[in-house]
Amino acid sequence: MQRCKLLKCASAVAANNTPFIDREEKARTLCGKCMTIVLTDARVAQVTKLIIVVAMLGWCAPTPAHHVLGRPAYSLNEDSNTPPSMQVEVQIGEYLISYMVFPAFPRPNVPGRINLYAYHLDTDEPLTGKVTFKVREDGWFADSEEEVIGTQLPDDNVYRQGFVFKEDGNYIITAAFEADNTPYLVDFPLPVGNTTPIGLLGVVIAILGAVLLGVSIAQRKRLARAKVRTARQADTLDARSSNDMGEL
Amino acid sequence: MMHPGLPPGWAALVGVAVVVLSLRTLVALRKPTIEPQVRRAAHSAPGTIMRHVTALGPWLLLLKIALVALFLLIVTAGLFGTPIPERNLATALTWNIWWAGLILTIFFVGSFWCAVCPWDTLAGWLVRRRLVRRAPTNNSLNLRVPRIIRSVWPALLLFIGLTWLELGTGLTTNPRATAILGLAMVVMATVSLALFERKAFCRYFCPVGRTIGFYSQLAPVELRPADIEVCARCTSLECYHGTDRVEPCPTHLAMGRLTENTYCTSCGNCVSSCPSENVVWRLRPPSIEAVQNARPHWDEACFLLALLALAGFHGITMLPLWEEGISSFARLVGDSGTLLLSFSIALLAGLAVPTMLYSGAVAATRRIAGIAVEYKQLFSGLAFVALPLAFTYHLAHNLGHVVRESAGIWTLVFNPLGAGMQPLSVAEKQARHMDLLIRPELLFTLQAGLILFGFWVALQVLRHRGQRLLPGGVLAGFTLLPMILLAIAFTGFHLWLLMQPMMMRL
Repeated sequence: MQRCKLLKCASAVAANNTPFIDREEKARTLCGKCMTIVLTDARVAQVTKLIIVVAMLGWCAPTPAHHVLGRPAYSLNEDSNTPPSMQVEVQIGEYLISYMVFPAFPRPNVPGRINLYAYHLDTDEPLTGKVTFKVREDGWFADSEEEVIGTQLPDDNVYRQGFVFKEDGNYIITAAFEADNTPYLVDFPLPVGNTTPIGLLGVVIAILGAVLLGVSIAQRKRLARAKVRTARQADTLDARSSNDMGEL
Repeated sequence: MMHPGLPPGWAALVGVAVVVLSLRTLVALRKPTIEPQVRRAAHSAPGTIMRHVTALGPWLLLLKIALVALFLLIVTAGLFGTPIPERNLATALTWNIWWAGLILTIFFVGSFWCAVCPWDTLAGWLVRRRLVRRAPTNNSLNLRVPRIIRSVWPALLLFIGLTWLELGTGLTTNPRATAILGLAMVVMATVSLALFERKAFCRYFCPVGRTIGFYSQLAPVELRPADIEVCARCTSLECYHGTDRVEPCPTHLAMGRLTENTYCTSCGNCVSSCPSENVVWRLRPPSIEAVQNARPHWDEACFLLALLALAGFHGITMLPLWEEGISSFARLVGDSGTLLLSFSIALLAGLAVPTMLYSGAVAATRRIAGIAVEYKQLFSGLAFVALPLAFTYHLAHNLGHVVRESAGIWTLVFNPLGAGMQPLSVAEKQARHMDLLIRPELLFTLQAGLILFGFWVALQVLRHRGQRLLPGGVLAGFTLLPMILLAIAFTGFHLWLLMQPMMMRL
């Protein structure tokens, strides 16, 4: 057996035994502390090795890339059969509605299209009635007046509605239909052009500014009060000491 | 696009190992357990590196500046960049890399993220108005945190709220909402720092920090005194109070009495301030804190159970059957639109079911033991079993995301706002799907190994904590059987989740 130089077992047990080397029955207590010391040290070493191995395995070569086939996105427009789109799915009542906008990010004065699919959740039957598309501005202070874009019948189970917006902005498209004598209204957001959220940043900066300013003012008042209190205490002490002097 | 799940062969191997380990533990429970006396390597290589990084101000400051710059880039990309999630740095970096990779870093460096967290750094710069050195205390009101919220309950509520936002409202696929969330965290950290003493946000409110803190109980590194006797003799407590140049411990920890990583933010203030240079980073067995050192508390036990529950719930929501299930449930309760009501009910159920199972297992253990141990004490003490199970499943799950969804991130570095980009085509998604960071076989090995490791640590927790909690010393055979069965059930559930095909995050 290779001789150990650390002798940690000896440091752990009473009577300075070295149980793993000196196996004679010399004041043994069978406390087991020597075993736990040896085991835990070994465990630290094992875990260190494990971490190193896992870290090295992380550098394994990635799998080879695969070729991408297909039509480039720049050759597509809103009338292409597979143009880039944004898609939203919602469940309302008995129907699952899928809504797609082409192009993915409409711009002012550029024609776009909405495709809407509606299927019954139980029967998977497509909706057959008319769908009316309306639009209104989105936002807290926006004009809530709605404008009808058009009413469509399904074409191959798809309701297609074209649009052209004149200005940038956040809009809400409402799809309205009736099925089984129940009216359905579904709202979808539609951002057009660049709608920069400067207002939101303003709110964050205003909150932070108000808090920091409030704390700063409160602290100044605190400090001023503390100064006044200290000055009054000093005055009181001075007055007392002068009275004491007077009495003397 | 769906990720393939863990092959059944791997799951079977883990299953066999789970059974063998369980039987071995049941046999071992008949013998008295000797608490391991751990001698840590005080000056290990990773410890030396971390000591230098945290103790040397300029390095830490550089790292903080870099991460703040990255955070501001993420906010800019989120607010002004493309709404396509996979083409925007805000969503891709936050949810695919950071959120998934954060859990992986805990496995190696514990709570080091908290030391360089950009939310706290920005808050510190705004309130303290100093980049380095100790700031005058009059920049903050330095109020004491109200007693009623001096626990992990606020962090737990925010953690549940974060999960609700992430999974329920589709935050992960919305760059703008991601940026708003980041800004909201900065606002909360700043307000907390301006009102309360030290870093109350990190200690009581931050859901990410508390999650990291609890998982750090399983980390293989710790910040501790090199010689406890030096701390015992110390009367000035610079680690707690700070010095003229160094800030005090942000979470009110005194190094001499520190036994757990939970509230340590790895900031290294204690390393810099200790006049005896007695504070060191050191290696240790990864599970030792959860197994024996950490002290049980009621609120922390609930947080651990919530971690376990939410880790599993997270996995469920990424399965294909989730869509059908939530749709049917929505019709049952008459929910419409984005199905937020149905999701909220499912989330509450996802929290309640594991908690009830655990409560039942604790009650059964108490009944079998037939001794007068307070239920609350047993509940808190044995709750550490949830930690390794949650952590290892979380790691295995996130490993899948990082390995399978990190491809293409470099293109975002050069175009973080995704200007002029179109949504990923099916062909591109397929290409990304095939472009893994590591080989699938290695991924499966790591995932199976992690689940098994978690189960093994859970058994160690039960064995040692059970021995300590249940009076009489020697556990009579099957006393802990309900708890072992619970650990087996959760491990089986996690294995099943990993075996299912999983939806891509983006």
